[in-house]
Amino acid sequence: MPTQAKNMLMVAAVAAIAFHSAGAQSRKPTANAGAGDKASLASEDILDRAKTLRAAADALGMVRWSDIGAGASRLPAVDVVNTMELWGSGTTYGSGQAYKPGAPWPAFKTEIHVALAYNPAAMRVETTCTNSDASAQGRAVPLHIIQVVRDKYAWDESAIGAGLVPGKGTATPVMAADNNRLLRLWILPYGVVKAALAAGDKTKTSTENGTTVITFPLSGQLAGVTVKATLDAKNQVAKVETRTDNPALGEMFTETEYSDYADHGEEILTEIKSPGHIVQKRGGHPVLDIQVKKVDANNPYLVFPVPENVKNAAVH
Amino acid sequence: MMRTFRFSIVIAVAATACLLPAAAMARQFSQVSRTTNAPVAPSGATPRTPDGHPDLSGVWNGLGDNLIGVPNQMANAGIAVETESSTRDVASGARIATFPRGTTNPLNDEQAERAAALMRRMGSNRPVYKPQYWETVKKLDQNANEEDPANNCMPAGIPRAGIPSFVGQSPTYFIFIYPGTGGLIATQTSYRMIPVDGRQHTPLQDLDGTYTGEAIGHWEGDTLVVDTYGFNSSTWFDQIGGYMHSENMHVVERFHRDGNTLTWTATVEDPDVLLEPWTTTPRVALLNPNPEAVLPESLPCSERDLGHLVNKEHH
Repeated sequence: MPTQAKNMLMVAAVAAIAFHSAGAQSRKPTANAGAGDKASLASEDILDRAKTLRAAADALGMVRWSDIGAGASRLPAVDVVNTMELWGSGTTYGSGQAYKPGAPWPAFKTEIHVALAYNPAAMRVETTCTNSDASAQGRAVPLHIIQVVRDKYAWDESAIGAGLVPGKGTATPVMAADNNRLLRLWILPYGVVKAALAAGDKTKTSTENGTTVITFPLSGQLAGVTVKATLDAKNQVAKVETRTDNPALGEMFTETEYSDYADHGEEILTEIKSPGHIVQKRGGHPVLDIQVKKVDANNPYLVFPVPENVKNAAVH
Repeated sequence: MMRTFRFSIVIAVAATACLLPAAAMARQFSQVSRTTNAPVAPSGATPRTPDGHPDLSGVWNGLGDNLIGVPNQMANAGIAVETESSTRDVASGARIATFPRGTTNPLNDEQAERAAALMRRMGSNRPVYKPQYWETVKKLDQNANEEDPANNCMPAGIPRAGIPSFVGQSPTYFIFIYPGTGGLIATQTSYRMIPVDGRQHTPLQDLDGTYTGEAIGHWEGDTLVVDTYGFNSSTWFDQIGGYMHSENMHVVERFHRDGNTLTWTATVEDPDVLLEPWTTTPRVALLNPNPEAVLPESLPCSERDLGHLVNKEHH
């Protein structure tokens, strides 16, 4: 593969698949989503936070209870979303990598497979990118990458689960990518609702131009990042806005749009609604346009053990 | 949808009909109205046998460890609903958002089944398999209607059987009885005779693998430790999850009595398939307060419903 084409694929894979960031080379995301500041909030309609978040959680099918075999017991409802797996395909774009000044960012056909968990917070993103404009940009040789994050650890795998068993693949620590990879998890619709609930009275709900807006700060490793989420008429998360500090592009405003919600389970329906279409723009440029083909939301068996060499890298 | 819904009813009715005595007995303790699934606080003194060890004997079929009902299944999976507004993942300590129910309308069976399937699987305490088995385990769980040995009336095995409903104790051995269980799964009755006379295990290579293996007990202070190996590979080692194992599985169970409660944990080692040992979330059973309590007969388990499957939705 020509070096330039290979580099382009790598850039696209690292930068664009992601639901948010520029991957291994980027730094800690910083504040904030813009319109959620106090000055603008003061002029907006303040909504009931608990009712708004409950409506958003219900719209995604996150809040559930069951009395099967419960006898006289009557448990409250709980957030049932923990693990999830999704498959999609579409286009990613090489962020800021146009071949000519003023030209659109190069596009790559992308297959994506995401496994995620919120307890513990972890995500594995497996992508295969192919240059869709091979004649202009080089041969269309697929690039396959696997990016993983769990809490404070981030690494790339040569194959799923690589580095856990001696002689079975390689796990490469990528600690600098940790926060940006974690952020991908928390700007998914479920992450938004969970994090907004966890933020308690720091979460603000309001209306802007007739739409419901939720603004909240993230915590822990992502402290300092503010997320602004806009709900659609069905109270589903329609848009999520954040701002990151990208070393190549400077402070970058990112917005991710979610639409076509449905239960995308195939033979196992869960009534958990997932977006069927995800579009992400960075600095106004499209970086991701994915159609979700299938989702397993039935808390499938997904684990994210941290390889020893990754733990050691974090210590040093 | 409707066919699935009907199938769910068929399964539930069949399981209940086959194993009604066990289910009915468990219900004796389920009449207590609760809004949590936390273990009951122990009460009373812990009786001791003449040799000074805690007396574990009795009928242990109250509230805690059984497969009947979502509250217990969640507890067994490590989800503790502590109050009407607070839920915690026991293994990780993570808080789980808890809400009032959204409607006074009861869920239909399909809604309740789907919710229950999620709630049973939301805990973080999962065994970590070697990567080459991750897809296998996931597929087994997804296809549990057909793949789960218990759905075919096979023995639950150890440690899936959990806390025995009856414990008989002598100075040199224990008798554990596990009645056939309805509800989430339908398993046949099984029993174990566990020596505590200081003997050693038979060499593994001399054992024919069995469902309950070769169990040897000993006391560590006031805790009964049951060490078991010599299994076949025909069982799953937890209620759900597709948690298969090899013939090299080794299980260490710990039983501790505190007043009228019996707490049980099991640690599973299986270097063939697991990346590391896995320990269950502690489960707590309540002593049947009726001194005349007996275990009624469990009727034979007979599976007749798998042919009606229309999709992979499951319990």
